Amino acid sequence: MNHPLIQENKFVIPISYGSTEVIDTGKWGFQKPHTQFMTAPCQESCPAGNNIPQFLYLAQKGEYGNALLTILKENPFPGICGRVCFHPCEVSCNRDKYDESVSISALERYIFDTTSDQVPNLNPVQNVNGRGVAVVGSGPAGLSCAYFLRLLGHKVTVFEAYKEAGGIMTYVIPGYRLPKAIVKKEIDRMIALGIEIKTGAKVGRDITLDALNEYDAVFLSIGAGIESPLGIEGEAFEKVMHGLDFLKRINSGSSIPGGQDVIVVGGGNTAMDVARSSIRNGCRVTIAYRRGRAEMPAIKDEIDDTEEEGARFEFLIQPVRIKMLSDKRLAVEFQRMKLGEPDASGRPRAIPVEGTDFIMETDYLITATGENVDLVSLPTDLIKNGLVYVDNFLRTKNAKMFAGGDVVDQPRTIVTAIGAGKKAAISIDLYLKGVSPEKMFSGIRVGDKGSISFEAYTSGGRFEMNRAAQKVVTFDKLNTLYFEHTSRVKKRKLSREASLKSFQEVNLGLSAEEATTSVSRCFTCGTCNYCYNCYFFCPEGVIALDPIKGTKYVDYEHCKGCGTCAKSCPRNVVVMKEL
Amino acid sequence: MKEFMTGNHAIANAVRLCRTPLIAAYPITPQTSIYEKLSDWEASGVLKGIMMRTESEHSAMASCIAASLTGVRTFTATSSQGLALMHEMLHFASGCRAPVVMANVNRLLAAPWGFWADQTDSLSQRDTGWIQFYAENGQEALDSVIQAYKIAEQVYLPAMVAIEAFFVSHFMEPIDLPDQDAVDRFLPPLDLPHRFNIDKPGYLVPVVPQELYREYKHMAFLSMDSVKEIAVKVDREYKEEFGRGYGIIEPFMFDDAEIVLVTAGSITSTARVAIKSLRDDGYKVGLLKIRLFRPFPREAACAALLGKKKVGVIDRNISIGSGGIFCQELRGALLGIAPQPLTYSYIAGIGGSDVDVETIRKVAFDVMKRTEPKEEAIWIKEDF
Repeated sequence: MNHPLIQENKFVIPISYGSTEVIDTGKWGFQKPHTQFMTAPCQESCPAGNNIPQFLYLAQKGEYGNALLTILKENPFPGICGRVCFHPCEVSCNRDKYDESVSISALERYIFDTTSDQVPNLNPVQNVNGRGVAVVGSGPAGLSCAYFLRLLGHKVTVFEAYKEAGGIMTYVIPGYRLPKAIVKKEIDRMIALGIEIKTGAKVGRDITLDALNEYDAVFLSIGAGIESPLGIEGEAFEKVMHGLDFLKRINSGSSIPGGQDVIVVGGGNTAMDVARSSIRNGCRVTIAYRRGRAEMPAIKDEIDDTEEEGARFEFLIQPVRIKMLSDKRLAVEFQRMKLGEPDASGRPRAIPVEGTDFIMETDYLITATGENVDLVSLPTDLIKNGLVYVDNFLRTKNAKMFAGGDVVDQPRTIVTAIGAGKKAAISIDLYLKGVSPEKMFSGIRVGDKGSISFEAYTSGGRFEMNRAAQKVVTFDKLNTLYFEHTSRVKKRKLSREASLKSFQEVNLGLSAEEATTSVSRCFTCGTCNYCYNCYFFCPEGVIALDPIKGTKYVDYEHCKGCGTCAKSCPRNVVVMKEL
Repeated sequence: MKEFMTGNHAIANAVRLCRTPLIAAYPITPQTSIYEKLSDWEASGVLKGIMMRTESEHSAMASCIAASLTGVRTFTATSSQGLALMHEMLHFASGCRAPVVMANVNRLLAAPWGFWADQTDSLSQRDTGWIQFYAENGQEALDSVIQAYKIAEQVYLPAMVAIEAFFVSHFMEPIDLPDQDAVDRFLPPLDLPHRFNIDKPGYLVPVVPQELYREYKHMAFLSMDSVKEIAVKVDREYKEEFGRGYGIIEPFMFDDAEIVLVTAGSITSTARVAIKSLRDDGYKVGLLKIRLFRPFPREAACAALLGKKKVGVIDRNISIGSGGIFCQELRGALLGIAPQPLTYSYIAGIGGSDVDVETIRKVAFDVMKRTEPKEEAIWIKEDF
């Protein structure tokens, strides 16, 4: 016998000690149903803690405006994330274990696009204790921090070194992936909230550290804006460019090479962006990467798109010397590599193979082998290993200074930066209130992967009262008998010809019909969508549901604890608890 | 010391000797003399316990279950319609793992009305989770009640000892009454686990989810299965103490028998005489008595009948739509051996109709002449 309830004594019999109004010697059942919100795996794996099942539930009902508002409670950039996020949510989606994961990213974009003419009803709270906070850098981390601080009622000033706000979103990611109009719309929403953004204000040049110290708190989010050098002979030639500079030139409207041979060194998203931008300018592109395809850090879709658009990939090679030829072309000497034991990042080490050098000629060589932090303007005592050192709550050694995004040691993705901005905003708010962060952060976590809920924070750590909400619904907890097998809607793209002629957005997003189909595939794990299964299957008729008021009621006086409601709940919202 | 008494009084004596502190029952012919004897003894102080005169058999069994769960040995006796009325509570007794012991005097079930011997009343309770013994005579009934307590209290399942109306319940025979000291040694007073406490009221057997129910039933199934071994052991211990043992099945003039008759209950005694006379006439006929019906002694029956060519089962019971119930069970058990004996089903003694030596001899001859399998039951009537 292996049932946990009857392991100990094989002659034990079930007995209940509860009582009812009428019968005070016991109840029929020894367990009663409870409804509870649980965390879905998509939500847990989203670094921004986006409440995905809730906004998809609203979208299922056709309430796209409310869906947008739900996203905006946790993530200020649905239009951007719906386009360029690497969407770990879709990897952990329970539906992936059933047929194919839900198109969460495309749906987030659809919700943003379809409501783009609406002004979401977002208002900062009235905070009489609101203080002045400076945010340095207006990339995703900085703007996210500013947004959440502003919602908490603080006065926020963002300092941006460049002419326009947005950091990587404005200056690095090309328009065919992320149209500038989208970024502008997202930033305009922030400005409408009352966030002051001072552009062309570089710390150390236009504003001093001392001036920043005048603020009640400071968030450092200057990103990693310096291309790491190759450190080889010939790197200084004019036709050897840095990937970030190249992308900034495109995004600022400056000229870039056209119709020539380009070698891009690197395997990350920057390398892919450079390659695809060059292809659009009529260049013939070769990507040189020192490891294999499987080891490329770029988003897989980006690698596939880059290859589809005509880039040639050369794996396991590394440049060792660059020479200028008489016709001003470059002769790049490469060395072949082989893969060795895994390094600290877990990827296999690339090891040079002696005597395998060869020459490739090209017009331009563009490097995209990683970015470093511009440390010059930062207080030296905050730095460790070329990054700003922070603790679990993004606090630096300086009590009023916080940091997050690419400037600290964390994965360099937009959504991670957004999550860091949110975390920093709450950390700063707690600091300004003089409250220690440990307990609160534990109470507002979303699952166990480090994400937190801003909604939980503003409702006073609501999750603390409901521990179940932090538990994650695993696939085996679902009752999938109620779901039909369906396929994901295939992504629609701009035609190849049109794509390669311009910087027009390549991914076309979902049509209204595709969005309806896609959103109906969401299981809304852990979120009640009033499917009424519990109501229909209850043999005693003791369940009452009201989707308008959002209430669920069980008449415990007459419930016999049979558990049919919990068994028939497809999404693990109804669970049985022993009395 | 032997005393001349009826089978019912033999059972009452067994209950007295087991010092059963809680008896709850309702009178019904032909069980009533058990009830009356125990009532007399309660009034005269011979019985130290409580004799509850309940308003129905259903309540009698409910009382026994509740008392058993508070930790005491319990007894009830019934018959026919009374057992049928108890049916719901029989499941509760086994489901609550309450080792209640009951005597059932096999009487036909109405309609039409009657009081005569017929095993269908207790056999139709075969799936209620009760251990069932079928006793051949008053002595075996007395001994089986004492053994039943010892078995039931080890496996926490209720046990029933069945005797046939009048043939055993009212016939008088010399009964060897064991010494109280010896019974006390064999079956010491016990304190069952207190699974139900009146100071902490609760609701017994509340609703359980599907898998939990399945686990309880599986546990009861396994416990019931273990009775086959435990009953053999208890019977051996009993024989050591009292000099009488029965086994869970009993072969008679068996080893060289070419055909075997199978019986249960009082017909066995008549069959012993018939078999002897057939042997005297030179026929190699043997007898197999089945004493333990639940759990069915499948392995023992298979081992005994392996190599036998033909078997005739005489049933004083009928499952309408199927046939004799002992025959059904035996045929099911014999699927475990090859080659299987040809097994014939004879319905004899229904409603207390007489099964005499000559009838049993006729059955034996019928088995002898048959060479082909015959699945349907053969009814034994005057013209057989």
